[in-house]
Amino acid sequence: MTYFDFPHIEEDDNLKNLRNDVKSFLKTTFNSNNIKPQADAWMYSANPEFSKKLGEKGWLGMSFPKKYGGHEKTMLERYVITEELLVAGAPVAAHWIADRQSGSQIIRYGTEEQKKEIIPKISSGECFFAIGMSEPDSGSDLASVKTFAKKTADGWELTGRKIWSTGAHLSHYMIVLARTEKLDEKNRHSGLSQFLVNLKLPGVEINPIEDMTHQKHFNETVFNNVKLNKDALLGEEGMGWQQVVGELALERSGPERFLSHYILLDNFISEFRYKMSEMGITSLGKIISELQTLRMMSFSIAWMIQEKKSPDVQAAFVKEAGNVFEKKLIETIREMSNLIPFEEWSSSLKSLFQDATLRIPANSLRGGTSEIMRGIISKQLGLR
Amino acid sequence: MKDEVKIILDICDKILLKNVDHHLRLNLEPNSTQFKTLKNEIISSELTKLLVKEDLGGAGMTLTDIIPIIQLSAQYGTPIPFIETIISNFLLSELNIKAENDFITLTNKTENILIKKDKISGNFKSIPYLNLAEKILVETEIKNQKYIILFKKGGKLTLQKNFLSEPKFDLDASELEIISMIEKPEQMDVQNLLINVRSIQSFGAMEKILKLCIEYCSQRKQFGRTLSKFQMIQNHISEIALEVAASGASLSTLKNNNKNFYNLKSTAIPKIRTGIASGKVIALSHQVHGAMGFTKEYELSYFTKALNSWRNEFGNEIYWQNILGKLFLNQNKNFWEFLNN
Repeated sequence: MTYFDFPHIEEDDNLKNLRNDVKSFLKTTFNSNNIKPQADAWMYSANPEFSKKLGEKGWLGMSFPKKYGGHEKTMLERYVITEELLVAGAPVAAHWIADRQSGSQIIRYGTEEQKKEIIPKISSGECFFAIGMSEPDSGSDLASVKTFAKKTADGWELTGRKIWSTGAHLSHYMIVLARTEKLDEKNRHSGLSQFLVNLKLPGVEINPIEDMTHQKHFNETVFNNVKLNKDALLGEEGMGWQQVVGELALERSGPERFLSHYILLDNFISEFRYKMSEMGITSLGKIISELQTLRMMSFSIAWMIQEKKSPDVQAAFVKEAGNVFEKKLIETIREMSNLIPFEEWSSSLKSLFQDATLRIPANSLRGGTSEIMRGIISKQLGLR
Repeated sequence: MKDEVKIILDICDKILLKNVDHHLRLNLEPNSTQFKTLKNEIISSELTKLLVKEDLGGAGMTLTDIIPIIQLSAQYGTPIPFIETIISNFLLSELNIKAENDFITLTNKTENILIKKDKISGNFKSIPYLNLAEKILVETEIKNQKYIILFKKGGKLTLQKNFLSEPKFDLDASELEIISMIEKPEQMDVQNLLINVRSIQSFGAMEKILKLCIEYCSQRKQFGRTLSKFQMIQNHISEIALEVAASGASLSTLKNNNKNFYNLKSTAIPKIRTGIASGKVIALSHQVHGAMGFTKEYELSYFTKALNSWRNEFGNEIYWQNILGKLFLNQNKNFWEFLNN
């Protein structure tokens, strides 16, 4: 009777060496390009030049087949690189979605032409993607999307609007979840399909949405009768729901769900290392235990994905537990500051802390809300 | 999981399924037929020698191998010194001493120890299931040297007054017969080993509690609906599931090799994580069960009491958080480096 297994996976010497390689690369690249580490960098810090450099190192499209420009490395190797990029606060936002989930969707469901056309560019860090799932009236209830793709003689005509599309203004493509049949209330998950949409096509309109931190990283993307060729269909017509569920596992299970604000923690520890109270030290011990547990869970899922298992529910665990951890982290850091007033912290730490405080509400919203994660878990337990 | 572990797990499952129930837990008597049958089946199937070296007549399994067996025993709420005997026999085997064909219990909490010829006297604290064991293994210090000592039960047993599911005793012993006494090797950290056993048991008990919650909510109806259909209840149970999943994952620190059972960092991580989880699981599972969970007859309380007991042993999670925090601060490493080594 084990409900949710997270098999133990050992980090071998090859992976440890890879960590060191990434660290050295980041140190050199940050110095020579004057790159400033940022919290929540996978969302807020886009730098296409940096993405290209990662591509040149062979650290994007790592698990993709070589014949499409990938590197046929393991998901565990990709995991290690991802962690190192996150803890360094590297500017990875431009390529993040393409490398994390869009490329894998294309490898899994795409046609030979789609793979040949797009995968080499993702692997070289020159092709970026946005997610086309949420809509103004379809947030958590993804099956209720209204964006419609109508079959035409030449292909498809896409009409509708997607929202919260992070990085769409920098991206080349979006994988759009659209209805290809009218909604059947008795079978809401049927009649959906995924499309590979070139965001430069006529009829695509990208409108920035300013978030509460005054940043414009996400958008509303409108499709005004956009003409798509037949080969824009990704995977099988009508199988969009099944495809998107697998994509969400990739989206939810990674270390960005608990390392988004690691750079704040790291800077805080450096500054307060010798000023911590017993209470602060005690809180730090809790952070170590919780963080290491999350890392083991996420690493285990990377292995499950590599082994072609379907860790959809385990991914929901990481997403939810990771979000809870990071939200608490901000509060814990306040408690750990040993009565040293905020005004006396270094300016760089203050800046990171303020960014994190403002950005943290998004953690348990993006990629599926906490309520949705708990719903997935409940369903798996047979409660609904 | 290795094939041999699967086989042993299957044997163990059959014995516990047949013999362990809530009646046994509530009416545990050394002379009862139910207890004697269970003990006989466990001893005769050599399950207490899983960790004993093959040349000493055991199965030669590793601590890592038997994590699922400790977990299973806790899921069944097995109210006997089964795991205590496995661990005692392991320690004896590590010291090249033959395993015992009887239940042994153990402690490292000792005071006023006096050894005279082949006899031991002193005060021994918090010994689980001493009423059901015939021999006692202790780790104790005499003149700055630590020893492992096995001796025959005797003396005055005092049942501790506490909130535990399992009976624990203090023992005042006077000149009891020593069976074996040997200097403890430096690397053998008995306390960390015992803590890790508790972390694994806590995980097993929490899995059982999750199962009880699901079963109860799927059967009981209120306001015309089964409880499981209420979103608030689903929220409680999904949070329990999250804590159970995290507890299981935290045990990963122990799965690399036997030495990790002695290692401070590998011990502290699951001790803290399962301790935090236990607190949440206890509160939420009682909330989900309503008044029924508060009764002695219904088995939930057996497991929540066990969790409360285990999370408070050897220092609670707050105590261990402090140790782990200091372990980092005392090493000249940056935080990420510490986490990765």
